[in-house]
Amino acid sequence: MARLRIENLTKRFASQTVTQDVSLQVEDGAFCVLVGPSGCGKSTLLRLIAGLEQADSGRILVDGRDLTHVPAYDRDLAMVFQSYALYPHMSVRDNIAFALRTARRPEPEVAAKVAEAARVLQLEPYLDRKPAQLSGGQRQRVAIGRAIVKAPKLFLLDEPLSNLDAELRVHMRVEIARLHKDLGATIVYVTHDQVEAMTLATKIVVLRDGRIEQAGSPLELYDNPDTLFVAGFIGSPKMNFLAARSRGGHLMLPECSGQMIRCPDLRSALADGAGVTVGLRPQVLGRTGDQSLEGMIEIVEHFGSASLVHARPDGSARLLTALVDNGRDLASGQRFEARFRTEDLLVFDQAGQRIR
Amino acid sequence: MTPRRSVENALLAGPLVLFLLAVLGFPTLLSLIYGFSETSFQTLTTPQFSGLKNFRDVAADPAFWQAAWFSLRFGAITALLQCGLGLALAVYLAPLARRHGWTVAILIIPMIVAPAMMGLMYRLVLHEFAGPVPHYLYSWFGWSPSFLGPANVFKTVVVAETLQWTPFAFLLFLTACQSIPEDLREAAAVDGTRPWRLFWKIELPLMMPTVFVALFIRFIDGFRVFDNIYTLVGAGPGGSTTSMSIYIYETFLRRGEIGKALAAAILLFATAFVVLAAAPRLLRGRSA
Repeated sequence: MARLRIENLTKRFASQTVTQDVSLQVEDGAFCVLVGPSGCGKSTLLRLIAGLEQADSGRILVDGRDLTHVPAYDRDLAMVFQSYALYPHMSVRDNIAFALRTARRPEPEVAAKVAEAARVLQLEPYLDRKPAQLSGGQRQRVAIGRAIVKAPKLFLLDEPLSNLDAELRVHMRVEIARLHKDLGATIVYVTHDQVEAMTLATKIVVLRDGRIEQAGSPLELYDNPDTLFVAGFIGSPKMNFLAARSRGGHLMLPECSGQMIRCPDLRSALADGAGVTVGLRPQVLGRTGDQSLEGMIEIVEHFGSASLVHARPDGSARLLTALVDNGRDLASGQRFEARFRTEDLLVFDQAGQRIR
Repeated sequence: MTPRRSVENALLAGPLVLFLLAVLGFPTLLSLIYGFSETSFQTLTTPQFSGLKNFRDVAADPAFWQAAWFSLRFGAITALLQCGLGLALAVYLAPLARRHGWTVAILIIPMIVAPAMMGLMYRLVLHEFAGPVPHYLYSWFGWSPSFLGPANVFKTVVVAETLQWTPFAFLLFLTACQSIPEDLREAAAVDGTRPWRLFWKIELPLMMPTVFVALFIRFIDGFRVFDNIYTLVGAGPGGSTTSMSIYIYETFLRRGEIGKALAAAILLFATAFVVLAAAPRLLRGRSA
C-alpha cells in the first residue's frame, strides 16, 4: 500500500535520452499500467522506480519518502521480471522464501508465508522442485509468489505475461487482476499489449519516445485520446484514420474519391483547405447514424456475436474496418454503407493533437 | 544398440583408439615391463622380471613418502590459495573487466611465462648474495629471510606457484561470474539482498561447479609439479622440495634405478587414475 510520485524524471544512456522529464502520480491501491511501443522507455521507467537504474535528474517518492538515491536493496519493493529471474539453484520454496530470509524473519513466519503464497498461487505440489523442472506458467507463478510474500508497498511487474502462450496469458491476466483486488497493493505494470493495459489498469500511462503521451483511466483514454498516437494505440481493433481537408464546414476525404462528411464542432476554427486526420473507431461504424461512407466489402470476419467488416471506400487505397453487431447477412463483394454519428468523429490536426 | 550401429561406432572411434594406443599405449607398456623388472641403462633390451621387488623398494624408501607428502601438501595448498585468490579477484574485478576487457590480458601475463623460466627468474631475484630482493631488504631493514633456505623454501615455492597460476583460476571464475544472468543479481537486489549476501547466496552457489573444476585442475597441476621447483631449488635442502615428479626424475636419471623410478611412476599414475575417475562422480553429485 503506497502512493508513488515521480517528479521530472530524466534518464540518459550515453547520448540517448530514454526517459524525459516524466512526472506521474500513482494513488494508493492503484493498478498503473505503463504502455507503449518497444523503445518508448516504459521498462526503463520501471527500472528507475526499482532502483536498477540511476536517474540523471528528477525524484522518485514512495509515501513521501525520497527513494531517488536509495539503492535497490533498501527500497522495499517487489518486482516480477519478464524473464522471471528465478534463482536456478534454489527450490521453489527457497525462491519464494529468499526475500523473507534476507530480511531475517523468523523461520516459522517464513514457512507460514511461503505456504500461504503457494496456496494462493496453486504451487503446493511443486515446492521442492527446481525452476528448471517447471513449465512457463508455473515459473511465472513462482516469480509472482516471490514478490507477494514480501507484502511490499509497491509491486513492479515488467511484461510478466509476454512469455506465456495466448491461453495462459488470458488466465494469468485474470489471476493478476484477482491478486490486485485481494492484496489491495499498489501496482506498476509494464506491457506493450494494450489489451492487457485496458483490462487490468485503473490508470494507463501511454509512453512515447521517453515522454508521457497521456495518462488516465482506460475508458478516458479510449473515449478521449489527446493525440493521434494514443487514439491509434488504445483500442482493438485499431481506430481507422483518414486524411481529410476542411472545406466550408465539411471535411473532404481525398482518399475516398472526395466523399464529403459533415464536420463536427471543433475546439478551434479550421482554415479552409487545412489538412486534418479523421479518426473513427470500428465500433462506431455500423448501420445507424446520421452520416455515412460508402464502399465495397472485401472481407468479413464473423465472430458470432459481431462481424468485423473490412470495406474499401470508393477510390481508397486503404481498408476501413467496422465492427457491426447485426452483420450476419454481410458478405464480401457487397456494397456497404458504413454509418456513424457525427459526434463519434475524432479530428486531429497535422501535429497529431486532437481538435475534436 | 543395434549391431549395425555398434559397427559404425567402432569405425568412427577406431582412428582415435589407434592414435591413443600409439601415443600412450607403447610408453605405458614399456613402463609396466620395466616397472616389474631389474633394469639398468646397460640392460635396457634384456630386462629381468623381478616381480614386485621395485614396488617393495619404493614403499620402503622414506624419500618416496617424503616426496608423496610434499606433492600432496603442495598441490592442496596451492590449489586452495589460487582458487581463493582467483575467486576474490574475479568477483571484485568483474565490473571492471566488463567495461575494459584489456585489463584481463594484463592480469593473465604470468600464465604465458614458461614455468621453468619462472623458476630461474625467482632463483635470480631471491638469491641470497646476488638477488635484488634480499639485497634491498638488507639495505632498507637490515634483515632478510633466507628465501631458499630449509626453513622457508616450502613457502617460497608455494608463493611462486600461486603467483603464477592464480590468473588461471581468476580467468575461469571471471567467465563463470560473467555467465550469471544479470537479472538474477537485479532480482536479488530488489529482494533486499546486499552485496555480501548476494555473493554467498547467489553468485558463489552458481559458480560452485567451476570452483570444483578449478580446484581439481590446480590440485593435479600442483601435485605433479616439476619444472619451476627444479629450476629454482632442485630437490631442495634435504630433499625438502622433492615432488613426486622430481623423485621419479632423480631416481631414474641421477641414480639410474630405472625399475624403481617406473614403479613409482606407475603408483603415481594409478593414484591419479583413481582421483580422475572419482572426481566427475563427485562433481555430478554436487551439481545435481
